[in-house]
Amino acid sequence: MAEEVIDLGKMTRDFKKEAMKIIPGGGNLDLCLNCGTCAAGCPATGLADLDPRKFLRMILLGLDEEATKSPWVWMCTGCQRCIYACPMQIDIPRLVYNARATWPREERPKGILGSCDMALKNASGSAMGASPDDFIFVVEDVLEEVKDTQPGWDELQAPIDKKGAHFFINQNSREPVTEPDELIPLWKLLHVAGIDWTYGSKGWAGENYCMFLADDKSWEHVTRTSIMQCAELGCKVYLNTE
Amino acid sequence: MGMNKRKAVYVPFAQTVPLKYTIDRKACLYFQAIDKGKKGKCKACEKFCENDAINFDQTATTVDLNVGSIILAPGFQAFDPSKWDTYQYTNFKNVVTSMDFERILAATGPTEGHLVRPSDKEQPKSIAWFQCVGSRDINRCDNAYCSSVCCMYAVKEAMIAMEHAHDPLEASIFFMDMRTYGKDFEKYYNRAKDDMGMRFIRCRVHSVIENEDKSLKVCYVDEQGNIQNEDYDMVVLSVGLESSASAIELGNKMGIELDKYNFAKTSDLTPVATSKPGIYVAGCFQGPKDIPYSVMEASAAAAAAARDLASARGQLQKIKEFPPERDVSGEETRMGVFVCNCGINIGAVVDVHEVAEYAKTLPNVTYVQENLFSCSQDAQDQLAEMIREHNLNRVVVAACSPRTHEPLFQETMSNAGINKHLFEMANIRDQDSWVHSADHDAATQKAKDLVAMGVAKANLRVALQPIEVPCTKSSMVLGGGPAGMTAALNIADQGFKVYLVEKKDVLGGHGRKLRKAFSGEPVKPYLDDLIKRVNDHENIEVHLGAEPKMVSGFVGNFHTDLTTGASFDHGTVIVAVGADSTKVKEYLYGENPNVMKWWDLDKKIEEDPDSIKQAKCAVAIHCVGSREPDRPYCSKICCAHAIESAIDLKELNPDLDVYMLYRDIRTYGRLEELYQKARSMGILFVRYDPDNKPKVEEVGGKLQVTVTDHVLGRPIVMSPDFITLYTAIAPKGTEELANMLKVTLNQEKFFLEAHMKLRPVEFSTDGMFVCGIAHYPKPLDECIAQAQAAASRAVTVLSKDKVVIEPIVAGFVDKEACRGCGLCVALCPYGAIDIEETPEGRKAKLISASCKGCGICAATCYRHAISINAFNDTQIEAQMHAFLNK
Repeated sequence: MAEEVIDLGKMTRDFKKEAMKIIPGGGNLDLCLNCGTCAAGCPATGLADLDPRKFLRMILLGLDEEATKSPWVWMCTGCQRCIYACPMQIDIPRLVYNARATWPREERPKGILGSCDMALKNASGSAMGASPDDFIFVVEDVLEEVKDTQPGWDELQAPIDKKGAHFFINQNSREPVTEPDELIPLWKLLHVAGIDWTYGSKGWAGENYCMFLADDKSWEHVTRTSIMQCAELGCKVYLNTE
Repeated sequence: MGMNKRKAVYVPFAQTVPLKYTIDRKACLYFQAIDKGKKGKCKACEKFCENDAINFDQTATTVDLNVGSIILAPGFQAFDPSKWDTYQYTNFKNVVTSMDFERILAATGPTEGHLVRPSDKEQPKSIAWFQCVGSRDINRCDNAYCSSVCCMYAVKEAMIAMEHAHDPLEASIFFMDMRTYGKDFEKYYNRAKDDMGMRFIRCRVHSVIENEDKSLKVCYVDEQGNIQNEDYDMVVLSVGLESSASAIELGNKMGIELDKYNFAKTSDLTPVATSKPGIYVAGCFQGPKDIPYSVMEASAAAAAAARDLASARGQLQKIKEFPPERDVSGEETRMGVFVCNCGINIGAVVDVHEVAEYAKTLPNVTYVQENLFSCSQDAQDQLAEMIREHNLNRVVVAACSPRTHEPLFQETMSNAGINKHLFEMANIRDQDSWVHSADHDAATQKAKDLVAMGVAKANLRVALQPIEVPCTKSSMVLGGGPAGMTAALNIADQGFKVYLVEKKDVLGGHGRKLRKAFSGEPVKPYLDDLIKRVNDHENIEVHLGAEPKMVSGFVGNFHTDLTTGASFDHGTVIVAVGADSTKVKEYLYGENPNVMKWWDLDKKIEEDPDSIKQAKCAVAIHCVGSREPDRPYCSKICCAHAIESAIDLKELNPDLDVYMLYRDIRTYGRLEELYQKARSMGILFVRYDPDNKPKVEEVGGKLQVTVTDHVLGRPIVMSPDFITLYTAIAPKGTEELANMLKVTLNQEKFFLEAHMKLRPVEFSTDGMFVCGIAHYPKPLDECIAQAQAAASRAVTVLSKDKVVIEPIVAGFVDKEACRGCGLCVALCPYGAIDIEETPEGRKAKLISASCKGCGICAATCYRHAISINAFNDTQIEAQMHAFLNK
């Protein structure tokens, strides 16, 4: 493949045009100086024979299919180190996102796909599939245990669906599902600080694999469920812990 | 700069003028108390100063001046990289800025010129330079422009560091585009790369990690895209140039317009004029630039101001008075020898103290002194003082080149009341420490020899008086392009006659081909106006279709015969003859009509826009004939011109695919904006390697270009409707003119200025000046500024009634020895010798004012009848004896 001549006359560069319409401000894609700072700072450089500079270059030249279909687009962690140092502030992470979105949903990586599907199963939005009832049970159970066994924490709270609380706080599913004790430190901090907060029974899960899957509709659904719960409770601030 | 602690009483920097101490009010105990409203104490400096030079009552004073014109030259400040957390300038000790590094290399710096890394004061074994820190960046800062000078200064710093290091030093420069676009810069870059083994790595480094031993881990990608990790002892951030807050304040106070980067706004057609009439700008406040161009621009600003003030010329003139000259002819020789360290330039190689001690043993030497910088103001004052104190009547300065510094020392001689020709220089820098830096002992020995030879010659020096001749107050300007016409108009506006000589039958030169300046301003109306003003000017006499046939004479007294038969006298010459395009044998040029040179494309844009609107693909190839082994220079204007034209193409036809095949994009200064604009329009830039140039073919009657994409490393192919070649600019026929004018050319046959930095528009031959692309390719704004500068320098000659000629000429004919053979007359290139009939027969007769002191006559005369003042046989023999009999 390396020696195959790239005929620029045949390139439509549709992907670039579409991406620039979607990315806020166009993402400065055309401004690339090929300086290599993105590739030098990228944890995914060299994987699948690609790096951010090469990826963008392919898009600019019009190798839409080859670039967007590379498994590399799923190796990007979205860490933003590229755009952070890029002299032209080129939005490569969002470009990668748009490349992911071109994949048929069923062909996207199983792990991410499965996690997104889990989140769509019930109102929790949890990538691990935990239901609102499961979440409520775990939180209440852990809270009770703390009050019983840890002196001085009689007043500790972990409210769910508390109307009019100032902060609506979400929570990664990993803690309630696999490490319940890890929930406690945050509660204690909030308690000591005297914060008025609440979890929601709906949309309590903070992670959003549908975003990583580049499944816009599902991403919106998961996010909307959570935000609506916050709004319904009349909370002033949505505090995203992810 | 915070690299070292300094006292509350300090000298701002080593070569500050005047070299005087000042008190840091914030650090001074006395003033700290006063400023708190308490009674001040300490005043130790006052107690200890033997000369009672401390004055606590001095305050800033306001001086009112009435002026007719103002020139702003507040300079620049270096970009502060503290806020860039990726490079950790504030936290990692061994990350320094280029300005810090200059101080580390400086003899007067915190390390006294020893190359050491800040963390442990050990000599670094490897140093990395990061280019474009605070330049060409719209993310981490707002300086979208290129700072113009950093590529060259980084190469220079790396070169000096490699030369200074005792052990081999690995120097790597991380860059995006290597911008060595100035005169002779490309050769410097090639030398660093090919001869010195400096590494040039094309990558902008993402971030730096500090290792336990305080060395720095630099992670980058090579051109193939592979991650590379390298440890460096030091990292130097090549920081950009920007306007300081005080410069911005000055600009605002003056009411001049600043551009979006806070540089003074100027037009490409009036490059040193601010938005406010009568206020001019020079140097980096106009935009980032290097020393040669800043110095040139200073003269240009002076020319612009002088034009406004021509009617008031001389009104506030003060004439410098020298003390009467002491007649030393009857005195015993008392010689002073001053040996210079030139910072570390000499001192780091030559044992200056040993040389000074040796000088004390030489005949007639009564006083010897070592200097850090002999050329500094305080060293000059001291030189004069020592002459008086020790009653010296000969002086030898062992330092740098007389080419640059002899006039300075000679003036000091005059200030001390001693004839300036009783002075001699020994060049222990250019001819010794610089070229023998690897062998300190041999270099010290050579310095001693040079000093001994200098002393031997100085012993035989005699007082000489200058020759004064009247000055013809007119100038000849050769070349009727924008540069020539600008120079002519400025001189004429200042009230002097100008003979403007143009080879062609029309004025305008290459200006006629230019559609617009890089700023976008149209050239035609400007040029038409310029031509009209030239033709209408009462002081300008235009000679079209004419070339000089013979130019004779000397500064203030030239005579020229033109090929048209016209002839005239003039006091100065300005060479603005331009340069030309080059022949192309590559890329199917001449074989396929759709392969064009750049002005053909410009013409197409102007005359046939429909063909562009119908085209699908256009390709431009840069560096055609430039930066090649047989033409090792950058033609400087092609990148920006190519990009400007590409933008025009895109504006005419947004659907057109435009590809620029380049080697380095060299849009320096604000021209970088053009490059950014071109990219934002979707113009694609593909970098090719000179070893793997683009392949242009005709396939099925259509053009096809194949080139390797520099990022993907894969071949890409385009089928352009037309290809534009950005061909080199080269001098044409300059050799003949240079011979006629007795001026020099550089290796590539561009006219060579007397000194790149200090005398950028003057020839070594007095009264002759150069501007425009005859000097080196440059864009219109720089041509105009340079023409103003040349005019300014010419007027310094024309504005005086007399010309003073140095008496280093054939000074004497031994009438008894002379046989009147006429050999000298035949050989003198300046027509400065005649044969006269005398009662004793035919004898040679000198015309001293025409003589340039070349010495051909003296060297040829088998009778030794002619000698050159200050270079006679006896003196030269004494030098040889001093060397051989040591």
